[in-house]
Amino acid sequence: MTQKEIDWGRLDEIIKRHRDENWALIPLLQDIQEEFGYLPPEFIEPVAEALKLFPSEVQGVITFYAGFSLEPKGRNVIKSCRGTACHVKGSRSILRFIKKELNLEEGETSPDYQFTLETVACLGACFLAPAMMVNRTYFGKLSPPKVKSILAQYSRPKTGESEIK
Amino acid sequence: MDEINLTINGKKIVCRAGTTVFNAAKENDIRIPSLCHHPHLEPIGACRLCLVEDENGRILASCVTPVSENLSVQTDSPNVRAHRKNIIRLLMANHPESCIVCNKGNRCELRKIASQLGVGTYDLYPMPHYTGFEEANPFIIRDLSKCILCGKCIRADHELVGVGAIDYNQRGFRSRPATVHDRPLEQSSCTFCGSCISICPTGALAVKNVSFAGSPQKEMASICGFCGVGCSLVMGIQDNRIVDVNPSPVENSINQSTLCVRGHFAHDFLSSSQRLTTPLLRKNGELSPATWEEAFAVVTDKLFSIKKKNGPQSIAFFGSSKCSLEENYLFQKIARVILQTNHIDNGGFLTGRSVLNRFQSRLGGMSIGPLKDLEKAEVVLVLGADPTHSLPVLGYHLKRVSKIKGVPIIVADPRRTDLIPFASLWMPLATQTDYYLINGLAALLYHRKAYDAQFVKRFTQGSDEYFKELSAMNLDQISRVTEIEPEGLEKAADLLAGKKIVFVVGHGILQQRNGLEVIDALLNLALMTGSLGQRGTGFYFLTMENNALGAWDMGAVPDFLPGRQSLVDNEIRKYWDRAWKIKISPDPGLNIIKMIEAAEEGNLKAMYIMGENPLRSLPQPGQIRKAFDNLEFLVVQDILDSETVRMADVVLPGAAFSEKAGSFTNLEGRIQSFDPVVSPPGQAKPDWEILSFLGNQMGLPAQYRTIEKIRDEIRELAPLYSQWGKNGNSSWIKEKSDLALFHPDESGESALFSPLVPLKENIRDEDFPFKAILGSWRYHLGSGTRTGSSNRINQMPLSGEIEVSIKDGERLHLLDGDKIRLSSSYGSIERKVKVVRNQKPGLIFVPRAFYENDARNLLPLTTLEAPNSPGFKEINVKIEKT
Ligand code: SF4
Ligand code: SF4
Ligand code: SF4
Ligand code: FES
Ligand code: FES
Repeated sequence: MTQKEIDWGRLDEIIKRHRDENWALIPLLQDIQEEFGYLPPEFIEPVAEALKLFPSEVQGVITFYAGFSLEPKGRNVIKSCRGTACHVKGSRSILRFIKKELNLEEGETSPDYQFTLETVACLGACFLAPAMMVNRTYFGKLSPPKVKSILAQYSRPKTGESEIK
Repeated sequence: MDEINLTINGKKIVCRAGTTVFNAAKENDIRIPSLCHHPHLEPIGACRLCLVEDENGRILASCVTPVSENLSVQTDSPNVRAHRKNIIRLLMANHPESCIVCNKGNRCELRKIASQLGVGTYDLYPMPHYTGFEEANPFIIRDLSKCILCGKCIRADHELVGVGAIDYNQRGFRSRPATVHDRPLEQSSCTFCGSCISICPTGALAVKNVSFAGSPQKEMASICGFCGVGCSLVMGIQDNRIVDVNPSPVENSINQSTLCVRGHFAHDFLSSSQRLTTPLLRKNGELSPATWEEAFAVVTDKLFSIKKKNGPQSIAFFGSSKCSLEENYLFQKIARVILQTNHIDNGGFLTGRSVLNRFQSRLGGMSIGPLKDLEKAEVVLVLGADPTHSLPVLGYHLKRVSKIKGVPIIVADPRRTDLIPFASLWMPLATQTDYYLINGLAALLYHRKAYDAQFVKRFTQGSDEYFKELSAMNLDQISRVTEIEPEGLEKAADLLAGKKIVFVVGHGILQQRNGLEVIDALLNLALMTGSLGQRGTGFYFLTMENNALGAWDMGAVPDFLPGRQSLVDNEIRKYWDRAWKIKISPDPGLNIIKMIEAAEEGNLKAMYIMGENPLRSLPQPGQIRKAFDNLEFLVVQDILDSETVRMADVVLPGAAFSEKAGSFTNLEGRIQSFDPVVSPPGQAKPDWEILSFLGNQMGLPAQYRTIEKIRDEIRELAPLYSQWGKNGNSSWIKEKSDLALFHPDESGESALFSPLVPLKENIRDEDFPFKAILGSWRYHLGSGTRTGSSNRINQMPLSGEIEVSIKDGERLHLLDGDKIRLSSSYGSIERKVKVVRNQKPGLIFVPRAFYENDARNLLPLTTLEAPNSPGFKEINVKIEKT
């Protein structure tokens, strides 16, 4: 699969919005991530130049926060919980099931950018254990069939471009 | 409150408010262990080793704890010791077990502290974190599995050298200092200054290509012998060999824990196989080994017989801005006193001495400028200078004053230099138009009445005429000639308005055809803005070589006697006549270019060259070769075999700075003396010893058995150096000017404005439509004779690409790596090309020193001295793809 094409014009707009702020780096990075879905590594140098920072500093901030990603993520980011409560309720087999269904390892993104699989320490929804999150929606009391139907819900049809909610 | 009372280990202490507990303890000789603290870096409190305990049993990291009134701490309580031991145990459990082969050796601070605390075994499950080993470049090995995350390398890289090549990447256990995109160092912005290696407490960062791994037998202080900064060094010695170089730990050194790639790594040229180790005499056309006695006898006989036959004017001496004060003094003394010739010059001619000369003669003295004073500047104007390459440590100072002190910097340079990211304004002016730019800025300040009228009134003369010329100045024309938009000029004027200026002047001016006029214009602007005579104002000149000022000061020039005293001044000449008991000719001698012309014409019969390689540093080697062929006798005293050495009749092997005692005067006007660190190779001798033997044999009345004797004589006779040595190994020249502005409380003369002159406009040459600028790259100094003999520098895959603009690249269908031929009407060179962004169309950059300094072939030899300032910087060229 080809890498996503990068739209430099949109980057310039975002930079312009923040260039004269104090402490602009984090809001700027957030905006880029919002707009592009991730922080293209090629953006590190131009962002640094605009804010008069060293590129290494910008990279340091990006890799410090788990919320920033230098790799393109799928349209749907699945966060499977690995916390204690979920573990007790069998989250390990849920994760294994998800991996098999999507053919992805932790931290990976599918070649068609449909899914990214991540794990988190605790989703803060222990009463729903075992739990996972897809984008901003929580799903709890998971079982393999339930996972299967959730994933199906988020899968884009093989043909056509229509969005599925 | 300015003072704070506190108690450390029961001892009552008074200290400055705002300092830290750690520093307060240190000032009172209480040592607290630390791994992440460094006096030149901002504290970050990362290692927690500097723990202290207060009265309530609270544990504090002393390096980040400010002192407070009545605080009482223990630095070595059982509790503190227990914590410290645990920290060390944890660090060691995380550390690979490679101490035995680590080249930090006994200098590893982790090991040192572990043994001080008595941590032998750490009794924890070992959890080393292997990260892989990086050593593709010829300078630095990174083994970050030994990293203890103290962040010193990162802080040195950001705060001290201002490069920003590395920062922490990732978090927690995986966190490590990394380059952008985690590339190898040679693909990052790293300049291989090595400052991070020296500051790293462990073996995580180490020097590559060491002939010896471990801790050297002894370490000795010295001075870097490359550029005009004159950094303080410590050299590690093993069996009379220099195996390691680090910045001096002295806290108030010029270089403050930094060096540049040359200072740190290129000193390996000292053990190059090209070193001269025995005197050589030409016999039957071949240079063959001889004894010193034979060599001295031949030199003496030949020089005397040539003098007798052809007169003193047939002999010339070419000294070196790399040799010491003592050596240059003796050298010119032999020339003037024994051979009675004023034909003395040194390599500093090529790097702008005549421009400095103009400055000196207009101010009656150049003032001392400590780099530290840059901090006090209100605004800095950098002209024709890229210190990040030519004098890197000066570049660090500028970056720091911009980034840390917030001093605005304006850079006027045709090229986008590495200083631009730190500048408030970059003016990419057309080449050789600095004169117009400066006058234009002066005119703007005049229109805005944003200059120091009081200063002008009190200390200067001739301002009326100057201001009249400024008010009549056509700013549109200035804008057109300089290619700086009117808004750009206005922006610069905004930054300069009402301010006192610091001028940083580089080789773009010093080697410019119009250099003298530019200096006049700059002095006018300085007088108008009151930017002279006070700390944090005035001029800093980039002196390319370590002793460029010193060689001049010692009179190794055609028109000055020692102490920077003019030879044409009758009083001064009389003074030296008396001192030396001779009669000095009132006619200035020949400069190096004229010497070569005189040799070509057959008027010069003998030359004595010390520490210079004109066949590599001057344009048109073919012409010089012919000139030297014309000589009856050529003596070359040097340390490395070179093109010039191979033409000599007698070769005298000298010693490098680390192998002898001596002194250099750096760009600040600081005189730094040094002692030998190792002995010279083979039969080579310190140059001052060679000269003192020779002088003695040729009949110099004074004997110089020790170097101190030479120093005494200079101190006594040259007022400029009367303070030398008064303050240990680092003292200052003594400036004296008659101008009142330098001593406002005494009476004195007014400084004069100089009239504006029309300059020839740069006319486009249809045959050679591009303008090539010749400049330096940090890996080489000058023409690269010494740096080109450094193994490490040679192993760096550098090809000295010619830089062209994107637009020219497109027009000529050039891609990175294509081979081109660059020709001027004097010669041509072939190299690879690199297309760079932010370069003006029509402008070409050619790094010097590569390929035996072939770039000099583009320049003519003769017109260099046209207005007595070497137009050694720019030339019209054309490009052909090959
Ligand atoms: S590499 Fe050395 S200086 Fe840098 S953080 Fe690690 S231990 Fe400290
Ligand atoms: S060698 Fe110098 S430039 Fe490179 S990372 Fe270290 S401190 Fe920075
Ligand atoms: S800046 Fe100059 S004096 Fe300092 S280390 Fe580099 S070459 Fe040597
Ligand atoms: S442990 Fe899974 S949500 Fe808390
Ligand atoms: S020296 Fe204070 S925390 Fe490292």
